[in-house]
Amino acid sequence: MLRFSKHETTFNEITKNMNISIPDRSEYLKTLAQSGQKIMGVLPALYPRELLWAFDIHATEIWDPPGEILHANAHLQTTICPIVKKSLEFILKEPDIINAGYLFPHTCDSLQNLGTQVKDLIGVSLPVYTFYNPKGSFNKMTTKYYRDILQNYQLTLETIYGPLNPEKLLAACVLSHKIDSYLLAIQQARMTDHLAMNNLDYFKLMRAQEYLLPSDYLSLLEQVDILDQPSESPRARLMVSGILPPTSEILRFLDELGVGIVADDLLAGSRRIPKFPMDTPVSPLDYLTDRFFVLPPCSTRGGDLDERLHHLSKLMDASQAQGMLFDMIKFCEPELFDHRLLVKTLREKNIPVLTLETELDSHISGQDKTRIEAFTEILFEMASA
Amino acid sequence: MADLYFAGVDVGSLSTDVSIIDHSGKVLSEIVIPTGVNGSEAAEEAFGSALNLADLTREGITAITATGYGRASVAFATGKTTEISCHGVGAHQLFPRTGTVIDIGGQDSKVIQIDSHGRMLDFTMNDKCAAGTGRFLEVMANRLELDLDELSSPLNIKGESAPISSTCTVFAESEVISLLAKNTPREEIVHGLQRSIVNRIWSMVTSIGVEGEVTLTGGVAHNKGLVALLEEKLGLTLNIPENPQTVGALGGAHIARRAYQSNLESPTN
Ligand SMILES: Nc1ncnc2c1ncn2[C@@H]1O[C@H](COP(=O)(O)OP(=O)(O)OP(=O)(O)O)[C@@H](O)[C@H]1O
Ligand code: SF4
Ligand SMILES: [Mg+2]
Repeated sequence: MLRFSKHETTFNEITKNMNISIPDRSEYLKTLAQSGQKIMGVLPALYPRELLWAFDIHATEIWDPPGEILHANAHLQTTICPIVKKSLEFILKEPDIINAGYLFPHTCDSLQNLGTQVKDLIGVSLPVYTFYNPKGSFNKMTTKYYRDILQNYQLTLETIYGPLNPEKLLAACVLSHKIDSYLLAIQQARMTDHLAMNNLDYFKLMRAQEYLLPSDYLSLLEQVDILDQPSESPRARLMVSGILPPTSEILRFLDELGVGIVADDLLAGSRRIPKFPMDTPVSPLDYLTDRFFVLPPCSTRGGDLDERLHHLSKLMDASQAQGMLFDMIKFCEPELFDHRLLVKTLREKNIPVLTLETELDSHISGQDKTRIEAFTEILFEMASA
Repeated sequence: MADLYFAGVDVGSLSTDVSIIDHSGKVLSEIVIPTGVNGSEAAEEAFGSALNLADLTREGITAITATGYGRASVAFATGKTTEISCHGVGAHQLFPRTGTVIDIGGQDSKVIQIDSHGRMLDFTMNDKCAAGTGRFLEVMANRLELDLDELSSPLNIKGESAPISSTCTVFAESEVISLLAKNTPREEIVHGLQRSIVNRIWSMVTSIGVEGEVTLTGGVAHNKGLVALLEEKLGLTLNIPENPQTVGALGGAHIARRAYQSNLESPTN
């Protein structure tokens, strides 16, 4: 059963500098599954988590599970991104921690195809759901469409889990709203140096929402210390864009170099947090629809590239970021589609840009180290000029 | 500021290069040796030889910048900077009107844009493979049973070039094998290989653009045939340093000098 109180797990991973502890993902989920919690495996990135919570289903997200890609290659083309490959590898193992099924949001064609493949061709013992997010920005059509798919998904879940308790849905929306408010405040604090947290810890905290119960995640956020006075500014200020944060090794390396990631435009980061604070939910359906459309612009939701550019430059200004790092996942079509023009526009504004390509392996190549270090040298020169 | 000396030590994938300068920037000695299997030993050896050549002792050097892919292994360095910045600074010292630097080394090739002070503005670097690098040429020289001088002789500038469509070392090597089997003259093959590298470099150049004069650094700048083809492709005359392999080390020495000077000038001193 989904708890809205603090979950008692042995927090076995203590992050330094942060003075708060974040439980290890697989240990945590194992304990949770053993306690009888319903757990659904959700593929990236946007899905109505509140609806699942209202049915007492814990949504745990599958982005880049560890382990080698062995069996998945047999089902996928070579030009498919590693997120899809790693997810399929994970699903093929039919892990015990997932007991309520899999949910495939329509983030991109690759994930949509994977959903169909898992459902119709490969087959797993658990139910497979799809959720077709609307593409394009806020308008009458898209909002109506979004409300419809929310209601349809609710009906689908009701056929399995019984009627939805409206009070539970409202409580889930209120919880979601609280989490968003904390995340917005933390993000703001990071932009203005009011957060004593290094790059590695910051993204550990962001990514903990992928697997912690919302109540546990909220209590983690409540412990984050937002400083009254700004702390010392990093030697160079960087913004990161892409799907996932850079790997831990890159984050550690940036920490060593004294480069602070002061803002991000990551699908697994700030693109999941509303652009501005929303009113406390009253009607769940209105709230969920509004929330979807006040999320920052994203390559996976189509829409206007100018809007994305405008959003990026607002974040860069607010955080005084000096340069942009595009951490591109190999073969990620939606991101590649926007990337060229984003780079061109930033370069025209004399903003230093570095693009790295990742296959999500934990090792950082010597060449990438040199790229990062050389890019940092440009930023340091700028800072000292 | 008499009697102040600065050094740059560039531990590259193939060569380890040292440059020693005095306080005015005058070059006192330059050394190039093969890196071999142990970067830190190569750094020690090259530094020792450069000191001998300049008639200096280790204690006489005020500051030393380590650079190159083995920069972290230079225990005696006082600072480290990437070879990308160092090639920019080095090229600026030799050719002050340089706006673009192309460094083609053993394992990496880079295109670097610098401003009128030699500060790096932007750069691009080849991917993991050896395409478009000196290593590519070495593999092919081996296959053609030519030494590097033969592979770069100006004889290869003119004449037919054999079609080599791959930039990938492995595929290009098999293309070379089949061309040899068809009795294609070796010079035509060499020409085709040079063209393949030039095309690869060209695509990197176009991704960041050409500004100002273009200076070619790194060991491949010794390859006269390739230089001629690159000039033809870019439609300009390249600045070729007398010793293209030590440009990174020279840049490192100047960075050490600048760091020392700005430290002196800083208000806390
Ligand atoms: N005399 C020569 N004639 C032709 N080519 C040469 C000559 N000497 C060196 N080279 C080329 O230069 C390459 C090595 O260049 P360099 O010494 O700049 O590399 P490096 O700095 O060790 O490598 P990297 O910068 O990639 O780590 C060799 O692979 C070879 O192709
Ligand atoms: S990385 Fe890109 S292509 Fe891969 S699943 Fe995510 S959005 Fe789709
Ligand atoms: Mg080199």
